[in-house]
Amino acid sequence: MADMRVTLCGVELKNPVIPASGTFGFGREYDEIYDISRLGGVATKGLTLLPRLGNPTPRIAESHGVILNAVGLQNPGVEHFIEHDLAWLKGKTRVIANVAGSTLAEYGEICARLEGLVDFIELNISCPNVKCGGMTFGVKPESIREVTAVAKKNCPRTPLIVKLSPNVESIPANARAAEEGGADCISLVNTFTGLAIDIERRRPILFNNTGGVSGAGIKPIAVRMVYEAAKAVKLPIVGMGGITSAEDAVEFLMAGATAVQVGTANFTDTRASLAIAEGLNDWCDRHLVSRVSELTGTLKLN
Amino acid sequence: MREVTATVLENIRIAEDTYSLTFACGEEIPVRAGQFCMVGVHGYPLRRPIAVCKAEGERITVCYRLKGGGTRTLAGSYKAGEKLSVLLPLGNGFSVKEEEKRVAVVGGGAGVFPLIAAIRRYAPEKELFAYMGFRNRASVCMEYEMRRGKKLVLCTDDGSVGYKGSSVQAFMEDIGEVKPSVVLACGPLPMLRALKSAAGGRLPVYVSLEERMGCGVGACLVCVCNKTDGAHARVCKDGPVFEIGEVEL
Ligand SMILES: Cc1cc2nc3c(=O)[nH]c(=O)nc-3n(C[C@H](O)[C@H](O)[C@H](O)COP(=O)(O)OP(=O)(O)OC[C@H]3O[C@@H](n4cnc5c(N)ncnc54)[C@H](O)[C@@H]3O)c2cc1C
Ligand SMILES: Cc1cc2nc3c(=O)[nH]c(=O)nc-3n(C[C@H](O)[C@H](O)[C@H](O)COP(=O)(O)O)c2cc1C
Ligand code: FES
Repeated sequence: MADMRVTLCGVELKNPVIPASGTFGFGREYDEIYDISRLGGVATKGLTLLPRLGNPTPRIAESHGVILNAVGLQNPGVEHFIEHDLAWLKGKTRVIANVAGSTLAEYGEICARLEGLVDFIELNISCPNVKCGGMTFGVKPESIREVTAVAKKNCPRTPLIVKLSPNVESIPANARAAEEGGADCISLVNTFTGLAIDIERRRPILFNNTGGVSGAGIKPIAVRMVYEAAKAVKLPIVGMGGITSAEDAVEFLMAGATAVQVGTANFTDTRASLAIAEGLNDWCDRHLVSRVSELTGTLKLN
Repeated sequence: MREVTATVLENIRIAEDTYSLTFACGEEIPVRAGQFCMVGVHGYPLRRPIAVCKAEGERITVCYRLKGGGTRTLAGSYKAGEKLSVLLPLGNGFSVKEEEKRVAVVGGGAGVFPLIAAIRRYAPEKELFAYMGFRNRASVCMEYEMRRGKKLVLCTDDGSVGYKGSSVQAFMEDIGEVKPSVVLACGPLPMLRALKSAAGGRLPVYVSLEERMGCGVGACLVCVCNKTDGAHARVCKDGPVFEIGEVEL
């Protein structure tokens, strides 16, 4: 038995495997299948100040080794989460509240509401900024610095994770912008923007036309981006993008991540997050690694 | 709700582009009529939702139409003895009230398969009338299962067997005589819309909906449908069966 504990921003996780935002709800459904307290934490569905209905369907499509989604942030709103799900989820494992806003003020308000209530706040900055013609907050370094600073000002005591979008010019520049804005941790990657076409109808499959690409096929790009982010900043990194096995998770840890998130794999295999946590322990045992945290950032380039 | 590694017992063609797949779950899993399972297919990130036709102890039978790559791989690569990852039972299923003695089932296309489970469940204790639509003679299957009720009207688009026309048309011609206390339906959206305008509001009509799915367990919110009250419902968890007046089609 290797020591699977990792410490992220001073908070101990029992292992480094966390289901990714949007794929796991608030954990209740998966807890019917296995005990989710065996996971390092849960990243919640993206929360907004007010409830959101999201996009019309189809919201999901599939391509080779990947899926596309355009849920449009359907969620019951932060108050509903606090009232109905938070206490239950906290009783199970570490809670990473993923939050989204359409203005700076909204990001500030939602962080203030969650301050002190959750273990981490994860800022989803891949949302359109309504005041900037819909350009997402997460594209330009200046806007990342600004939204991070507003968020951090409103949750000074809660570790703030800034979740980077991969649809950008420079991951190192954006990671540094988050660090300068006051982030305590960086997570990446969110989904890649993609388009899947129904050639019989000559129309996009998704109602929203484009959607976020995730799943096994994005993994090498995500690993490269995690490596770049880890090199660019001193903050701890939570890596994700296409992880389907313990070996995939090891790649992310070696590239510089302290913990990992598992998204799409939960759909393919309902027990994936748990299987990856357990498999990571076995991998460490087989490789005589006594503490999983030793793996972080051990990649040596040729 | 469980994820099991099942063993394929049989996976055979039963009609044009239609297969019947029976697998053993290794444990008895109670499944209600109208519930479904999510079948994992090698090489595809998303599981495929398929209604359960028959549940007999640890043995489950589903029937599926070939559509795209997933169902083709399922038909081509899963012979008897192969392992199959299945998540089940999912969704709410049909429920007919004690006092509803006369049950009509109206199905079309792949929508006939969840209704086979309803026929098996309700034919022994209710007066059951079935209206089942197929493309043509070559696509008709499971006729012996559909005959368990009091009456079966087979319908084909081209009239090569039975009634020429849709199962909704055949049902509406009979409705005065049959006087059903409840209708259970599943099929393509145009069919369900026709049923809604013809029979919705006159008597309880329950429809089983289809939507593309991610998790299948109610967590990811990709499978929603619009309710008439403006809210969203998850087809995988709150459905797939809804009262027809409750949802927008
Ligand atoms: C609750 C439920 C029960 C179903 N029961 C049956 C059944 O008993 N027999 C049967 O033949 N079919 C059934 N279907 C439809 C079946 O899920 C699709 O035909 C199948 O997923 C197609 O997969 P594919 O890879 O062959 O097609 P593709 O078109 O290549 O699939 C691409 C993606 O779209 C999804 N998709 C495509 N069509 C549908 C659809 N109609 N509904 C939901 N997802 C779809 C696939 O799951 C996959 O994720 C049911 C669907 C639902 C939601
Ligand atoms: C259906 C679905 C919904 C998602 N919703 C969110 C969300 O609300 N907030 C967020 O930050 N990321 C969301 N994501 C992105 C994932 O958290 C993750 O960053 C991405 O899927 C890459 O990981 P994966 O390849 O393991 O899935 C969603 C992904 C999927 C597939
Ligand atoms: S498929 Fe995930 S909520 Fe229905």
